[in-house]
Amino acid sequence: MSFLKLTNVYKLFTEIPAVEDFNLEAEQGEFISFLGPSGCGKTTTLRMVAGFEMPSSGQITISGKDLTYVPPNKRNVGMVFQSYALFPNMTVAENIGYGLKASGKPKAEIKQRVEEMLELIHLGNLGARFPSQLSGGQQQRVALARALAIRPQVLLLDEPLSALDAKIRVELRQEIRRIQQQLGITTIYVTHDQEEALSLSDRVVVMSQGRIEQVGTPAEIYTTPSTEFVARFVGQINLLPIHVVDQPAGLVKVGQQPVRTSRSVNYSDEKALRLAIRPEELNPGHREDANNLTGVVETVTYLGSIVRIRVLIEGNSVLMDLFNERRLRLPAVGESFELNFDTDACWLL
Amino acid sequence: MKKLFKIDVWAWFWGILALLYFFLPMYGTLDFSLRMQKGQISFLAYQTVLADPQFMESFRYSVIMGLISVSLSVILFVPTVYWIYLKLPNLRPVMEAITLLPFIIPVIVYVFGLIRTFSGPPFELTLTPFKTDILITAGYIVLSMPFMFRAIDVGMRAIDVRTLTEAAQSLGSNWFQVLFDVIFPNLRVAILSGALISFALVMGELILGDFLVRPALGPYMVLVGRDHAYEPAALAIISYALTWVCLGLIMYFSRGKNTQQLTGR
Ligand SMILES: Nc1ncnc2c1ncn2[C@@H]1O[C@H](COP(=O)(O)OP(=O)(O)OP(=O)(O)O)[C@@H](O)[C@H]1O
Ligand SMILES: [Mg+2]
Repeated sequence: MSFLKLTNVYKLFTEIPAVEDFNLEAEQGEFISFLGPSGCGKTTTLRMVAGFEMPSSGQITISGKDLTYVPPNKRNVGMVFQSYALFPNMTVAENIGYGLKASGKPKAEIKQRVEEMLELIHLGNLGARFPSQLSGGQQQRVALARALAIRPQVLLLDEPLSALDAKIRVELRQEIRRIQQQLGITTIYVTHDQEEALSLSDRVVVMSQGRIEQVGTPAEIYTTPSTEFVARFVGQINLLPIHVVDQPAGLVKVGQQPVRTSRSVNYSDEKALRLAIRPEELNPGHREDANNLTGVVETVTYLGSIVRIRVLIEGNSVLMDLFNERRLRLPAVGESFELNFDTDACWLL
Repeated sequence: MKKLFKIDVWAWFWGILALLYFFLPMYGTLDFSLRMQKGQISFLAYQTVLADPQFMESFRYSVIMGLISVSLSVILFVPTVYWIYLKLPNLRPVMEAITLLPFIIPVIVYVFGLIRTFSGPPFELTLTPFKTDILITAGYIVLSMPFMFRAIDVGMRAIDVRTLTEAAQSLGSNWFQVLFDVIFPNLRVAILSGALISFALVMGELILGDFLVRPALGPYMVLVGRDHAYEPAALAIISYALTWVCLGLIMYFSRGKNTQQLTGR
């Protein structure tokens, strides 16, 4: 049986539902990310798990116990906020020990747990400082330790890194993952940063407009997005209008140029099908055993480690990402350009 | 270089002028209060004032009433303002307007309202001194509302009330613990400054004490001022000193590591 379970969770604030038809089962120790654009209901869902919001309908259980309407202070769920939310009147050690103190644990136990936690977040010598005397990254570590000190059943993090600068962000996210795995704690991590979601999670929940678009491992989400929304939101994607030539064989045409796909064409729905392909699957030049498309170079953009080339093919702009190797010969704008890709690198959406 | 010098001179000029404007009358009062004995400087006026049993009584009365009404006002206002910040943020402007009423309605009008409403049945709050003290305490709380609310409001603004509350709750705190472990300590400076201003206000309050016929310090000072020459000057200096002690305490408590902590969002 799954450890954390959300069943048909629905939340209505005013007119438009903030969360709809939300079903999720998480195993003990699993790291799950909620990924989606602003306003899609990630925070609302997380706050329902924490108990700060009550679902309009549906059920939330942890370890088989129905917590749907249990107040937050009776849930034993740890929460880390974007704004750290450390208590300014308490030292680092007092902050970390606060949850245990509030539940009336003996002093000796609190002291020991605080030391353990300071060790865990590598801030062993800063226990006597006040939050205002710490950097943002340090404060967020303390907030993490404070949430973990009560040995919560589930750890919830709402965009914990978005107030930090890029370098610290990468450093701290690895730290969060290390601690999560070390403690084996079931974790939900809210983010709108796809890199964070993909690099941290066991599974990613992609959300849009209050609904789940897709649930899957980072690899599944990236390589086989099940909807156009997921394909567009996670990574870059080229979508080219096609017409079908041979349905069982998976043969289609982009304009006048034939393309072979490895998956057979599915006509189940009415909407116009499009050929989906990631920019990094495209290679320059002609290759006999692959799909080849010809167009005209529109722009060449230098992005550091990669170079992004936009090619106009049959009236569609197609993005191609190339590693910026020294031997790379960059095409000139306006030049005729041929690119190729494997038959199983593309699919129809 | 020359310009800088010029600004400096003018700044000094106005600064000194302001100081003179402020301190000269006070110096005059102080000087006068020390001349009760002809031809020599003495503290006789102060001795007379302090030896007057009526002074001691009214002083004691006002201090006690001040402490009671300020404590009640803190207990009343902190949770109320907290709740408004947490659950009813749209009501904050309404609350602000309500707390300004004591500035708009003259105290004398307010006192007559109080007496008319509460002296008759069913309240009959002016029958015994104790009952009148209840009424006067309530009155002091109302009069201190603008200061108390504003001070607490500023304090609340400096912390992220909602997130701190949620953080404490998720760590297992009940409402009582949230209020006493997190909200009160982080508002300490704000509460103190509101409380001290309110206390000073009660100590000098004249009209409530006078019309409700209670032995408060304000009416006593007026009385003395009518009948004596040197003692009122001494009293004025004493009440100045009292106000300054309050202000000094506010400044002392709002300095140092507390202010620094308040910024830790
Ligand atoms: N207390 C509230 N009252 C009314 N509507 C709300 C409330 N909280 C959230 N909403 C609405 O619910 C929807 C989902 O909000 P939510 O905060 O969950 O989004 P999010 O995915 O966390 O977005 P972001 O990435 O910007 O944090 C939004 O349309 C928002 O306006
Ligand atoms: Mg959010």
